[in-house]
Amino acid sequence: MNALVQKSTASLDALKRIHPLMPWFASFVLLLPLPLLALNDYQIYLLNVICIMIILATGLNIVKGFCGQVTVGHVALYAIGAYTSGVLSVKFGVPFWFCLPAAIAVTMLAGALVGIPSFRLEGAYLALATLGFAQSVEIYIRVTNYLGSASGLGGIAPPSIGNFVFYDYFRYYYLVMPFMLIAVYASFAILRSATGRAFMAVREDALSAAATGVNVRRYKLIAFMLSAVYAGLAGSLFAHMVPGYVHPNNFTVIEMVTLLLMVVLGGIGNIWGGIIGAILVTIIADLTRDFYFYQLLMFGLVIVGTVLFMPKGIGGIIDRYFVSKRFVAAREKTAEQKRAEAAAAKSGES
Amino acid sequence: MKRHILGLTAAALASSVALNSLSAAEIRVGATMRMISENGQKYGEMVQDEFDAINAAGGINGHTIKLSLLNDECKSDKGVANANKFIHQEKVHLLIGSTCSSVSLPIVDVTAQAEVPQIIPHSTNHQITQKGSAWVFRVPISARYYKGVVAKYVGDKVGKKIAYLYASDAAAVSDAEGLQSQMKELYGVDPVYSAQVQEKEIDFRSHLLKIKALSPDAIFIAALQEPMARALVQSYEVGLPASVKRLANSVASNAPVPAMAGDAIKGVFYTAAYSDSDDRPIAKLFNSMVKQRYGISKVDHDFSQAYDLVRIVEIALRNADLKLDDDNLKADRTAIRDAIAGVKDYQGLASGPISFCADPTPECRDGNRTVVLIGYKKGGEDFELGILDRVTMPVEFGLEK
Repeated sequence: MNALVQKSTASLDALKRIHPLMPWFASFVLLLPLPLLALNDYQIYLLNVICIMIILATGLNIVKGFCGQVTVGHVALYAIGAYTSGVLSVKFGVPFWFCLPAAIAVTMLAGALVGIPSFRLEGAYLALATLGFAQSVEIYIRVTNYLGSASGLGGIAPPSIGNFVFYDYFRYYYLVMPFMLIAVYASFAILRSATGRAFMAVREDALSAAATGVNVRRYKLIAFMLSAVYAGLAGSLFAHMVPGYVHPNNFTVIEMVTLLLMVVLGGIGNIWGGIIGAILVTIIADLTRDFYFYQLLMFGLVIVGTVLFMPKGIGGIIDRYFVSKRFVAAREKTAEQKRAEAAAAKSGES
Repeated sequence: MKRHILGLTAAALASSVALNSLSAAEIRVGATMRMISENGQKYGEMVQDEFDAINAAGGINGHTIKLSLLNDECKSDKGVANANKFIHQEKVHLLIGSTCSSVSLPIVDVTAQAEVPQIIPHSTNHQITQKGSAWVFRVPISARYYKGVVAKYVGDKVGKKIAYLYASDAAAVSDAEGLQSQMKELYGVDPVYSAQVQEKEIDFRSHLLKIKALSPDAIFIAALQEPMARALVQSYEVGLPASVKRLANSVASNAPVPAMAGDAIKGVFYTAAYSDSDDRPIAKLFNSMVKQRYGISKVDHDFSQAYDLVRIVEIALRNADLKLDDDNLKADRTAIRDAIAGVKDYQGLASGPISFCADPTPECRDGNRTVVLIGYKKGGEDFELGILDRVTMPVEFGLEK
């Protein structure tokens, strides 16, 4: 196992040396044949859902994990993205490639709206404010005839490029997977940028961050807006996937809890953890379909258990593994150097 | 020793082949339903129990039915996931689902694309059969018939001066607006009064006093359970005479409404596909079976529709020429679809015959057209119901010309 990890890390480093984007290109190539390995269309459908959930969880991680803002309104942004795209497609016949940026833009504005309370509110109070927002969005959709109200909005056209239509799950995978990779890459880029460092400064101590010249309000707002971009992208991709139908029941508190579980289980603030969380929760939710009576109970217990016994989630464990590996490697290297120095000194003496 | 091992291996292979051939000879049915309420779970149990009973009695032409049942929680994404799982992973021959229209609607597109027959147990939304899918059949009554029946009954037997008081929830808005448009279409009349109130409004007296001053023939109340009960009680408090008929949407069929409204619910009527006050022998037998098996004191139409669905599926499967091997999955699905389309004049718990036909149109796929008008004879915990009328609607009713 150790040898495998070492080999993988070495290959990754080698790829990075060729070009910083090479590991991402390699990931893309590796993910390309995945639908061909699936046993049936249902598994390809699950792959698509996993990709959408990864985008959503990664977005939530930006605001919650990087910037430390407690939000439970992310699902409402997801709904806004889905409905914006859906309405443009159904009511105005706008193609997907225009619906998508429009959905992202509208959701980003909504994200700014959700971010404003974070100037004055923190912790549980901010959570309550965002929960209120999520509920309001859900109720608004439910009672608005134009949005399909309780009947839902159907007939959302699948994306197409010329005559090539992404009408089935196999084709859709080749649309949703690249978007997922780009989204994950962008989140790493954000994390490593000055903006990412400012987010982390705000997360650790807003007062200290402000004292060092970080504009706390500005960065909180940016975090909410960036996070909303991810939600808008995920929402639009969800809306256009076959059968092209959205309903307010897809964006309730239960969906928010499931999304939180992905991020908490994966590790708040850990991008890879969020991805692993999204994959695991989607697969576990599918495997436990037969035990639907206990599913939410199980999810709730996993959240409580993770927070109590594994506060940094799966990502934290992986991080710790790599940190300890690096520590051991560094210690061995130092010891080796010392041994070499001692040997050199000895040979010099003789 | 070697011979023993060889013998055991041969036996294992033989049993595995036998098991494979046995599983291949199963008729695979997937059902996705809303099973988050106590009754919801029991609808699912009933479908499972009825298929088990068919298997226990020898199955369908020697084949057993394997039912897979999943909960969709009335969420379209979960319903679509369930449908995809059934169709692509479990390779079902037939899909049953769903309870909620918002789940059935997207599944219609999934089954149409995959060419799998789908039969709907409870959803009433008129759009389900108007999508033009050749693979969908509906056992319950379409909403287009319900709206028409109420309007026709009210216009012919109650009067044309109707006041409307309805809450802002989707069902109430849809029912009130639907009835208003039907009254306009059938009799050319507008509402004498129409007011929309908040979903959880508790005081309706100002509206009711205005309605009283207008002396309508009837008042239509559409709301959630508690507001509906309050509005009914308050209608008597403000002195609206008993001669003004009280009508309600299907929320009135929920047991808490008569319990909360007490005697104020007496005379209120609503529409459904089945009433447990039905005195036909088959209905009496069914009521006692449901009461005994599931502990339900008042049997609603979702039970009768689930039961009728299983019987229709049974008839269709018996008539279908099925090969039941992997190579013929597509042909078997088509055979089942055609066999359901061939079901004519099924007489079950539904108040009228259910018939399907081959065209992918609402006229062919909305098989049940007989609506029961049910009225309260007594309110309170031990409420009593009576059937006022049974109305069979013309097949093309409610369709755009």
